Amino acid sequence: MDTQELLQQALEIVKEWTIEVTQPEENRRDIYIDARNIKPAVKALLIEGRWGYLSAITGLDSPEYQIDEETKERKVDPEKGKLEVLYHFCNKAAIASLRIRLPYVGAEVESICDMLPSASFYEREAMELIGITFKNTPITDHLILPDNWPAGVYPLRKTFKGFEKKAQG
Amino acid sequence: MEPKQKSEKFVVPIGPQHPALKEPGHFEFTVDGEIVTNATARLGFVHRGMEKGVEDRNWTQGLYLMERVCGICSHVHAMAYALGVEKLANVQAPPRAQAIRELVAELERIHSHLLWLGVAAHEGGFDTLFMFSWRDRETVMDLLETITGNRVNYSANVLGGVKIDISDAQKDALLKGMDFLEERTEHYMKVVTEDETFLGRTRKIGVMTFDEATLLGAIGPTGRASGVQRDVRVDSPYAGYPDFPVNIITSDAGDLEARFIVRIKELYESYRLVREIVDHLPEGDLTVKVPRRIPEGEVISRVEAPRGELLYFMKSNGSDKPERIKVRTPSLCNWGSVLTTAIGHKLADMPMILAGIDPCFSCNDRMVMINGKQSETQVWDWENLRQYGIEYYK
Amino acid sequence: MENLAQEVMDKLKTWARVNSPWAIHFNSGSCNGCDIEILATFTPRYDVERFGIKLQGSPRHADVLVCTGPVTLQARDRLLRIYEQMPEPKFVVAVGSCGISGGVFQGCYNVVGDISEVIPVNVYIPGCPPRPEAIIHGIVELLKSLQK
Repeated sequence: MDTQELLQQALEIVKEWTIEVTQPEENRRDIYIDARNIKPAVKALLIEGRWGYLSAITGLDSPEYQIDEETKERKVDPEKGKLEVLYHFCNKAAIASLRIRLPYVGAEVESICDMLPSASFYEREAMELIGITFKNTPITDHLILPDNWPAGVYPLRKTFKGFEKKAQG
Repeated sequence: MEPKQKSEKFVVPIGPQHPALKEPGHFEFTVDGEIVTNATARLGFVHRGMEKGVEDRNWTQGLYLMERVCGICSHVHAMAYALGVEKLANVQAPPRAQAIRELVAELERIHSHLLWLGVAAHEGGFDTLFMFSWRDRETVMDLLETITGNRVNYSANVLGGVKIDISDAQKDALLKGMDFLEERTEHYMKVVTEDETFLGRTRKIGVMTFDEATLLGAIGPTGRASGVQRDVRVDSPYAGYPDFPVNIITSDAGDLEARFIVRIKELYESYRLVREIVDHLPEGDLTVKVPRRIPEGEVISRVEAPRGELLYFMKSNGSDKPERIKVRTPSLCNWGSVLTTAIGHKLADMPMILAGIDPCFSCNDRMVMINGKQSETQVWDWENLRQYGIEYYK
Repeated sequence: MENLAQEVMDKLKTWARVNSPWAIHFNSGSCNGCDIEILATFTPRYDVERFGIKLQGSPRHADVLVCTGPVTLQARDRLLRIYEQMPEPKFVVAVGSCGISGGVFQGCYNVVGDISEVIPVNVYIPGCPPRPEAIIHGIVELLKSLQK
């Protein structure tokens, strides 16, 4: 099957949960689904459909900015922006990404580790760096941030600008 | 040191650090007698904050930063980044540049596999093989230095192409180097497939079945050694690979021996590719112009690093700085698959199994998982675990 | 008489230390580029062991700490503790640009940068990474300075 046929196959499999499909590149489709449907969609695509393999989980901070009236500074609008989680599945040259949107506060999605134990590393990374909660993920210890990292501080969020004092450990 | 009869936790710190220090980066094994019942890991030792750091640097500076995710596979990181930027900017690097990118990538694969061969041999106690392979590796280090100016962190890529060219004298040196290495590699293949002691530590050890590998997403030589036909150079060719294609190397055995054999056979493929590129290097420019501000968009750039598939997710907001760069290195994928299948094996096999993934210390720290019933935790350092493995098989 | 004996002992100790320094290597978060070049110095082409330099695993027996990397926050405590466990007199060699200023990682949130912000450094060997010859040269310079 060529790349476009493979992509069509993926779209068919997850049709019932699909909200929207975009095509960021010729060999890719981004399939927007509701966060609550992530498990059935992954199950249908990967476990039952055997479509490719999970290559990565990307956490994305997609902020909207508001201009502060007084200072004219550009600040992240906590009401409008969103977090996104992309599950990238690769099959030969085709990449199908399941894409969910989450609010800044209460960013929660079910873990897929009961179906795919190796997803644990990706989920841990997104939890620490962007602040997404993967419910029922088996391990929640810090994967890469130091033990004494302040809780609730997510370095990959746009609001994180580094520490005021130089890193002292 | 002996594993006791009941369930025990062993904490094995990664890297050359003192074993008694409580480890922020380590492996933890739970054993029941001899058998590993669980494995987990904690990374973080080499976490520098690069994905955030790159957002503060312009696209060109970002190239030099991402090159240093890993010193062993620095060229593939730079190449994945440069290819991604070129996709966003909708430009294509010229054919000569793409061929040179592939040339340096294959030379890097050679250096990396020889490095791994030595390190894995050392883990099993075969220090002579370690010394031989690292001595021979100096040949490819010299070639890389002749072409790019540095032994490590070659910086051959620029946005839009490469900054190095290959002269006729360099072509001769490359061909001679490949001849020498090919002859030496025959020797390694013999050791790996015929030496009794070596086979005792690798044959039928650490088996990962085809189904496990497929589902868990094993990639690179680790996956190919279990019969999984995944190689980004073949599935989704990039740089010069459409013109200079590679043959995929797989094995059905799925054990440690297969992982050794697959990598050695890949060495032969790399020698062949280097010769072919040298003989048929296309004429033309080395770079194409890339604008300072990169148009908005999101791309995924995948390349085949020596350890497996490297994935870059890159998002541009139309400015001269990246919006988001996400790097998923191959070792992260392989950890999950191999550690899941390490359960049920003997503790003495752990050093070789872990070495068999060809873990990139810096792409990820080494991880170990622990699933512990509460009992006393023993702390072993890597050297002890390695010695334990060697003694066990004497 | 006692002073003379002490002088002889000191000279002997220096000779032993200079001629056979025991080194411990520590990676404080480097990309491994420097580490593989350090390892390369022990392989046949450079063969630094013939100078009596021995790489071993315990800080308690080490004269020289060879440190790479820009000191990540996670590694900082460990680095400090290893240094504290080394007996006097002890020396630190920082290999690579990361240990001087943070190298390319300067400004990244999880990185301290200059190794001397954590422990005192005797020799800096710049490079990204420095060649094995440069590393050997740096260590030899350290040993020569001990002879004085």
